[in-house]
Amino acid sequence: MELNDANLQSLTEFLRKTLDPDPTVRRPAEKFLESVEGNLNYPLLLLTMLEKSQDTVIRVCAAVTFKNYIKRNWRIVEDEPNKVSDQDRTAIKANIVNLMLSSPEQIQKQLSDAISIIGREDFPQKWPDLLTEMVTRFRSGDFHIINGVLRTAHSLFKRYRHEFKSNELWSEIKLVLDTFALPLTELFKATIELCQTHAADVNALKVLFSSLTLISKLFYSLNFQDLPEFFEDNMETWMTNFHGLLTLDNKLLQTNDEEEAGLLELLKSQICDNAALYAQKYDEEFQPYLPRFVTAIWNLLVSTGQEVKYDLLVSNAIQFLASVCERPHYKHLFEDQNTLTSICEKVIVPNMEFRSADEEAFEDNSEEYIRRDLEGSDIDTRRRAACDLVRGLCKFFEGPVTAIFSGYVSSMLGEYAKNPGENWKHKDAAIYLVTSLASKAQTQKHGITQANELVNLNEFFVNHILSDLKSPNVNEFPVLKADAIKYVMIFRSQLPKEQLLQAVPLLISHLQAESTVEHTYSAHALERLFTMRGPNNTTLYFTKPHLSFLNLNLFFKAIMRSFSLLQESIVPYIPTLIGQLTHKLLLVSKNPSKPHFNHYLFESLCLSVRITCKANPTTVSSFEEALFPVITEILQNDVQEFLPYVFQVMSLLLEIHSNSIPSSYMALFPHLLQPVLWERTGNIPPLVRLLQAYLEKGGASIAGSAADKIPGLLGVFQKLIASKANDHQGFYLLNSIIEHMPPESIIQYRKQIFILLFQRLQSSKTTKFIKSFLVFINLYCVKYGAIALQEIFDSIQPKMFGMVLEKIIIPEVQKVSGPVEKKICAVGITKVLTECPSMMDTEYTKLWTPLLQALIGLFELPEDDSIPDDEHFVDIEDAPGYQTAFSQLAFAGKKEHDPIGDSVGNPKILLAQSLYKLSTACPGRVPSMLSTSLNAEALQFLQGYLQAATVQLV
Amino acid sequence: MAENAGLENHRIKSFKNKGRDVETMRRHRNEVTVELRKSKRDEHLLKKRNVPQEESLEDSDVDSDFKGQNVTLDAILQNATSDNAVIQLSAVQAARKLLSSDRNPPIDDLIKSGILPILVKCLERDDNPSLQFEAAWALTNIASGTSAQTQAVVKSNAVPLFLRLLHSPHQNVCEQAVWALGNIIGRWCFFRSAVCVCVCVCVYIILTSACPGDGPQCRDYVISLGVVKPLLSFINPSIPITFLRNVTWVIVNLCRNKDPPPPMETVQEILPALCVLIYHTDINILVDTVWALSYLTDGGNEQIQMVIDSGVVPFLVPLLSHQEVKVQTAALRAVGNIVTGTDEQTQVVLNCDVLSHFPNLLTHPKEKINKEAVWFLSNITAGNQQQVQAVIDAGLIPMIIHQLAKGDFGTQKEAAWAISNLTISGRKDQVEFLVEQNVIPPFCNLLSVKDSQVVQVVLDGLKNILIMAGDEASTIAEIIEECGGLEKIENLQQHENEDIYKLAFEIIDQYFSGDDIDEDPSLIPDTTQGGTFNFDPASNMQTKEFNF
Repeated sequence: MELNDANLQSLTEFLRKTLDPDPTVRRPAEKFLESVEGNLNYPLLLLTMLEKSQDTVIRVCAAVTFKNYIKRNWRIVEDEPNKVSDQDRTAIKANIVNLMLSSPEQIQKQLSDAISIIGREDFPQKWPDLLTEMVTRFRSGDFHIINGVLRTAHSLFKRYRHEFKSNELWSEIKLVLDTFALPLTELFKATIELCQTHAADVNALKVLFSSLTLISKLFYSLNFQDLPEFFEDNMETWMTNFHGLLTLDNKLLQTNDEEEAGLLELLKSQICDNAALYAQKYDEEFQPYLPRFVTAIWNLLVSTGQEVKYDLLVSNAIQFLASVCERPHYKHLFEDQNTLTSICEKVIVPNMEFRSADEEAFEDNSEEYIRRDLEGSDIDTRRRAACDLVRGLCKFFEGPVTAIFSGYVSSMLGEYAKNPGENWKHKDAAIYLVTSLASKAQTQKHGITQANELVNLNEFFVNHILSDLKSPNVNEFPVLKADAIKYVMIFRSQLPKEQLLQAVPLLISHLQAESTVEHTYSAHALERLFTMRGPNNTTLYFTKPHLSFLNLNLFFKAIMRSFSLLQESIVPYIPTLIGQLTHKLLLVSKNPSKPHFNHYLFESLCLSVRITCKANPTTVSSFEEALFPVITEILQNDVQEFLPYVFQVMSLLLEIHSNSIPSSYMALFPHLLQPVLWERTGNIPPLVRLLQAYLEKGGASIAGSAADKIPGLLGVFQKLIASKANDHQGFYLLNSIIEHMPPESIIQYRKQIFILLFQRLQSSKTTKFIKSFLVFINLYCVKYGAIALQEIFDSIQPKMFGMVLEKIIIPEVQKVSGPVEKKICAVGITKVLTECPSMMDTEYTKLWTPLLQALIGLFELPEDDSIPDDEHFVDIEDAPGYQTAFSQLAFAGKKEHDPIGDSVGNPKILLAQSLYKLSTACPGRVPSMLSTSLNAEALQFLQGYLQAATVQLV
Repeated sequence: MAENAGLENHRIKSFKNKGRDVETMRRHRNEVTVELRKSKRDEHLLKKRNVPQEESLEDSDVDSDFKGQNVTLDAILQNATSDNAVIQLSAVQAARKLLSSDRNPPIDDLIKSGILPILVKCLERDDNPSLQFEAAWALTNIASGTSAQTQAVVKSNAVPLFLRLLHSPHQNVCEQAVWALGNIIGRWCFFRSAVCVCVCVCVYIILTSACPGDGPQCRDYVISLGVVKPLLSFINPSIPITFLRNVTWVIVNLCRNKDPPPPMETVQEILPALCVLIYHTDINILVDTVWALSYLTDGGNEQIQMVIDSGVVPFLVPLLSHQEVKVQTAALRAVGNIVTGTDEQTQVVLNCDVLSHFPNLLTHPKEKINKEAVWFLSNITAGNQQQVQAVIDAGLIPMIIHQLAKGDFGTQKEAAWAISNLTISGRKDQVEFLVEQNVIPPFCNLLSVKDSQVVQVVLDGLKNILIMAGDEASTIAEIIEECGGLEKIENLQQHENEDIYKLAFEIIDQYFSGDDIDEDPSLIPDTTQGGTFNFDPASNMQTKEFNF
């Protein structure tokens, strides 16, 4: 590529096309540029264009293209060809600094980025004159140029802040210091002087203050690894000036913007960081300056307003004080009672106040509010900084600080009492103050684990928290309600049990509150309380009797009441309603920001489907017609928030079909097996249910037209079975496969299924797993016969069948719960006892009577609900994190399914009849086995069954 | 040897999983040889010793002459080349006196006047020891100035003559020569850049060959001229204390510099002398002797072994409790360097009951001593399990933790290493002991410091503690969460440094995600190309017999 006008012209045209909104124009142009970027002079053509083109848009476009080109190609990777010719490299390095400095800001930024990318590779060895070239520009006097240099230097040096020390790194820093430190210092001094000369010229000041901010950032980078000799020798200059800048104010630089931090704030924040760096790392050298900085920063805090734009500055400043006040040798700076009082009064309390910005978040951006307030992502907030300062001060001054704040708390509560409507924010601050003062250590699992003994948490609860919880109007003062709920939640390990019990029904009533924060907190608090453990950690803190008075359905009852009102009148309007609902759904799926709204939307969809299809099942197709496009779109765009709902709606629709599966569903089937869906816990229950519906309605279709998907389906089973939390879902799926798939379609997979189950049984069995396992093997036995079960076990490992009988079935079957599950086990075991020859005449025979005894136990004895100590929580179905808990749709519910059905009315009778059949096949053996080892009680029960079935054993 | 190598190998292997190898655990005091900081610590050694004017009877008459005559530089210069021995002596003496004045001796003026060659010439005058003495004294004081002034002396070809003077039968002359050499060697070692020039000139003039390199080569050049033997021969009971101080001071300067260290033979020659000097009651001599040992022990395991073999260690260790801080500091550095060596070398120090001195060092009012003491211990906790146990048995763990919590930043940093190393080399019960001593809160506190390396060391340590805890990991995780450590680790997932955020992510992922380890890794299916989980009936995953 020659450096000539023709090439410039043609490149310009291609660049212009890359800006075209039409992809058929844009894409080829982009492709072309990519194809020529390996050519000699290509980067130089771009540089020429960004310098000389008449069209500003083309200039900027060339700059961006150039930067991206550098980013992709500059690094020389070992064993790969050099993608930029040496000639171009040299030319670029020779010109780029000049070009950057003489370009307008938009282009300057791109080139500055490009320089730092090149610098990262080439500086210092392969670009030795870069620094000197930059430093000479300091003398230009043109701050547009100077800021360009500073910005570039900042992007080159900022990695010193996080890289590990090494000889290589330190040599580079030393080199930088040798050329850069002195000119930077001179520039710093000169800039400050210029600020004084131009104190009345706002435009000049703006430029100068950006320089100062950049200089301060460079200071931070250059001083990060260790204290350089140069800066130690010049500490006086730097620190005196930093101190001066901290205390400086200039009306001209104050901005009217409430949100965005201005230049003054940015500069001062950086200076706070610089001071904090020195205080932390170079304490010995910095000691003489520290008290001055403490005073200056403190004054800064006292005089800074509540606007959001000051947040970063204030939190940086408070964090500085917090880190200094807990050092033993600075204790004296804070010790004085007046100092402490004034820090508490003027720094801490004002920054704990609930601001209008917080109020807005509480109302309009509840997720963000919750994340900050509850989950501790409030690192840079003022409240958080103030809270850290309280903790820091408490290290040495817990008594005095507690006393000072007690006064404040009472006075704020007093204000509130005078006029709650007006002064509720005072109470909020009081609660926050008590919380931050009292909490010394905290975990998710237990809340606050260590509290300040000087704060009477129970008294505060009784006098100030309970009243808010008890207030009959749950929607009044939602912030205070949320505070009160949070108080219960975080101090749950500190408050007496009777108080918590008193709080539980109150928390439930807050589930109905309109405020998202409030009802989310209640749900969260309840969940936390119910999972609390007793002192020995093995039992739940609240046992069933404690909570028997509760009606947990309260919440859903409230919703259902409003829906059932609709029920009678809704049917005629369904077509219109569906249209509107799907339209709404399409809209919100673009931005699913309001979880509760979404939830209700889906609830109403489900309710519409149910009400209509109950009357006329054929209407399901009109729903499908309306909903499938939206559903497909949601699936394609992977709208995570909606997927659990969509699966439930699909299940509901599919279950309405009578024994066939529409092709529209089959088309979606492969998508449901995608691993990414199964990585999200919230998807698992609704997806399993949906797959079960697929199997129930279309087991044969799958075996026929989608047989290649069977490994993927079983793969899902395998994925679920690997997890203690989800294994029962895996069994649901497996049971459906056994029940509904044609046997020949899965015959080749059976052995591996059992191997996996045995593996899990071996490595990490839990009670839940065993229960599900027992139900499954008995279902298998019912479906395929006892011989098939015995054979497959023994084909995996000799005598396996006996081992499973002896070690798993006989001792554990008593634990199986649920009438359907018990029935499956009873029928399955009956088959093993009576239809399996190897039980009669091999070494398994010794297990025959114990197995019968276990079966009679299953019929007659109470269920064994004991659970080993270490797995209390595994057993809670769909353990509620609030995400999943809320996506369970009440109106998409599923009916109970009994795979055995009416074919076996009474399993006891079946047992009696089967034994009779067996006894006639081998006369004399059955009675003799019964009389020798079945215990008397069991025998008596058995006689009863035989009588009821009117049979007699022979 | 073979056995040792095996052991070493084993250790490296056993550390593999814990992320740090022996090399990085045993840390020399300055892992990075490039320094950004001002070098302050060794200043006392480098201070030039100008020999001040002492009022003495001998001098008084010359003095009055000198004052009376109001001698000019020109006159001195002229007289110093006089054939008249008396005039010449008094001129050289006058020059020396000018150079010995307390404030601003006119060194540059004298150099400019061209007196150097004259003074150097006087050094050759074996027939006139007084003249040699005065000339040496004058040259010493010139060499005590700036590096350029030292360089001027070197240029004047004085070095070989000074060395020659070491053999002079006249003690005052010898002493003066030693003094001057000290200044020169010291200067060379300190001003490395200047040294280069010095040597160039030196070698050019004396050996008419090219400049070989920088500092240590100069030292070795002087050594090669044979300075050591005559120097050491001065060490005998009759030597005056002031002279012995100077001899020791030159020895320190000979031992300095480790790139490369002084020649083995020289070290072998010097060590017996140091073993004698370490008994000396004079503080200056003692301090210099111990610093010399600290330099020698800073030169790699081979040199450490030579020091150990000299038998000096049992006499070095008790100096840790010397009443002079200067002695303690130097001794701490020397033993600290030794324990950067192998486990066996470390054990030699431990066998001298070294740990009994540490309660005092760890509570010493000087922070620098605390810091070096913790550094020392960090290299013991990097050792074998018996050595770790020795630190525990000496009751030092709570004190290290105290420094971890309350020390100044440098000390906290060393304490972080000490703890982290222990989590790597310690047994389960040793790490448990650490946890019982409540190490976690102050350890976690360091996760927010502005030093990537410390953050990494702490994360490593926490991860090891969690691994070691086995089934109890959740208890440890809870302690970490309670003290605010979890939050800090969470924030580190945003750290700019890749190693740090990966480590933080790993810890969160393994110990803080969900209540327990949910999935059985051996059962999780692979994902196929086609985008489903792979259920492979042929995989036959059963590896061992099932037994429930």
